[in-house]
Amino acid sequence: MSKIRFFIALWVSKLAIIALKITKHAGTNFPGIVALKICPMFLKYAKKPEKIIAVTGTNGKTTVSNMLLDILTLDGYNVLNNKAGSNINTGIAASLIYGMTVFGKCKHRIGVFEIDERSALRIFPYLKPDYMLITNLSRDSIMRNAHPEYIANLLSLYIPNSTKLILNADDLISSAVAPENDRVYFGIDKMKGDLNKCINLINDIQICPVCNHKLEYEYLRYNHIGKAYCPSCDFKAPEYDFTGFNVDLDKMFIDVKDKDGIGSYKLLNESVFNIYNVVSAVAVLRTMGYSHDKIEKFFRKLEIVESRFEETKYGSRTLYKLLAKEKNAFATTRVFDYISTMEGDKEIILMNSCQGDMHHWSENTCWLYDCDFEFLNQDNIKNIILCGPRRFDHRLRLLLAGVPEEKLSFAEKEVEAPSKLKLFENDNIYVLYGTDSLNLGNKVSAMVRKLLKDKADKFEKRGTSRD
Amino acid sequence: MIKVEILFPEICNLYGDLQNIDYLKKSSDEIEIVEDNLVDEPYFLNNVPDLIYMGTLTEKSQNFAIEKLRPYRKRLMELIESGVHFLITGNALEIFGTEIIDDNLTKEEGLEIFPFMAKRNMMNRFNSLYLGDFDTDDLNNTKIKIVGYKSQFTQGYFLKNYNTNLSGDLGYMFDTERGTGLNPEIMEEGLRYKNFMGTYLLGPFLILNPPFTKWLLKKLGCENIALAFEEAALKAYNIRVAEYSEPDRGFTY
Repeated sequence: MSKIRFFIALWVSKLAIIALKITKHAGTNFPGIVALKICPMFLKYAKKPEKIIAVTGTNGKTTVSNMLLDILTLDGYNVLNNKAGSNINTGIAASLIYGMTVFGKCKHRIGVFEIDERSALRIFPYLKPDYMLITNLSRDSIMRNAHPEYIANLLSLYIPNSTKLILNADDLISSAVAPENDRVYFGIDKMKGDLNKCINLINDIQICPVCNHKLEYEYLRYNHIGKAYCPSCDFKAPEYDFTGFNVDLDKMFIDVKDKDGIGSYKLLNESVFNIYNVVSAVAVLRTMGYSHDKIEKFFRKLEIVESRFEETKYGSRTLYKLLAKEKNAFATTRVFDYISTMEGDKEIILMNSCQGDMHHWSENTCWLYDCDFEFLNQDNIKNIILCGPRRFDHRLRLLLAGVPEEKLSFAEKEVEAPSKLKLFENDNIYVLYGTDSLNLGNKVSAMVRKLLKDKADKFEKRGTSRD
Repeated sequence: MIKVEILFPEICNLYGDLQNIDYLKKSSDEIEIVEDNLVDEPYFLNNVPDLIYMGTLTEKSQNFAIEKLRPYRKRLMELIESGVHFLITGNALEIFGTEIIDDNLTKEEGLEIFPFMAKRNMMNRFNSLYLGDFDTDDLNNTKIKIVGYKSQFTQGYFLKNYNTNLSGDLGYMFDTERGTGLNPEIMEEGLRYKNFMGTYLLGPFLILNPPFTKWLLKKLGCENIALAFEEAALKAYNIRVAEYSEPDRGFTY
């Protein structure tokens, strides 16, 4: 009976795909929703690829999944993946439907799935990854994810025993997940700019898991990410199996060594969290048996996904479009920190009001007080434009972070924000948008782009007429 | 100086809770902060602070905090009975109750100071906005409008007929206008006993509620009270009160 139900679900969802195509609707998740509605055990019966790589964690999982997908594709595989859909059970179901024939046979030998860390209980009983990368675990949405210890417990409970884990040794929370599972660790050796004390508001593991004394760090990158040890007992972070070292931000390369050799890898972005993404992807591929040589070649061909980071220059001015997830203090702090390290005068359009909550509910703004807005208190940040329904909450938070009131501008609606830009010479303009405001982010960025282009064109014309 | 003692900031720090005390400090130079770590002897053992603050923590950390505080239960009772101010936010409140019963039927005993227990369901996160009133207990019976957030795995229950050593009657902290009380069936939110104030509201509670914060600073004996960025805080507060008063505004998530 269950098998019959499964096939009905498969065929109906296949028809749904055709219907979506005919009606020109996106709805990449829809077939998965349909299938799970008809057959709740759909994930159990669906045929899967022979080899499955899963990527989860609070931050970086989309970037690393895309890297792995691109690299395996470059290696000639037709990789089943959920890039176009969601990373929860319906998204996984949808990708399996796309990957199956009408007779239920899987067309792919290998699959890379980005998996929402909160969805472990709905996915892992039925999908058993051969390899699973946990990029990191940190504070995320208070309402959905509660706290990282909760997510770590969920993962420990539901990750299959047979899955080999690739874990971040510089994150004591994720590195302790599912202690019975076979595992390897990656990390990054001491590098320029390291700290030895946490300067962030969020520090999710401050005490030794053995004796409760305060942990210390040989080196610390941000929040709790670094090489921890306890000064009061023998406890220390796991040793690295894959060590990132020799970070060269001028040439944009990092070396990664393991027991079998060293490889030199192209960095896609200079931010520390993206350096971790590269090392973690190398660790996965090395664990799968790829040689350093082969991975190096693949990395040279990779580009960072544009929807998360985009840089465009017009004359003397530059526009940066950056994803800063609303309600995720950890991720947004990384973006603020990154902006603070960039040179030159800056203006910021902060459109981080949660769009999804504004109509029927109201945003829980606790995350603002976990997020280090203090990074925006810098002399070269000249103008911060606050917009959307929570702009007065953002204003108070920025004032408490030490940002002077005269640096704040206001726009009721996000699309009005570009008109508040001062557009000075050599300006660097950062448009920060959340996952709820991807389209709005594109719209506002396009408006800013037009302003910058017009300015640059005018300047060029003036220059030409003078000639 | 007004001494504010923070219990275990290294574990009681979820959701921006610690920013509450930072806001007090930014609002008055009369405030002096004392931090107790889990491995230290608490300051309150041999001193009388003006305010003891404890913020939201993980479920595992609740056990650490209970075990740390259990030997000092008698001293805590003394301080509560003598009128020392306590502000306890989020699930830290449960530490002062009798027990926390988990959905897998495991039971953690609390400090048994108040006849109050919590039921926890780790598969069901309860999220809510909150709008209520705080009774200042002054001669004019002034009430302060309270706004805030709840996000928790537990619901709280008063225990009737529970034999306590309290010398007075246990009350609640807020009258709920919208949202839920200690559990969805009641309108009473939080615990209030003399100057002990505990609430499931979490996060930057004092920043969200400048009128309450002014009242608290006055109660603590602050003389010159001008909150940090008071105008900006009041503007955000007034917008939130108006928003939460809209009849169509959803409250649970």
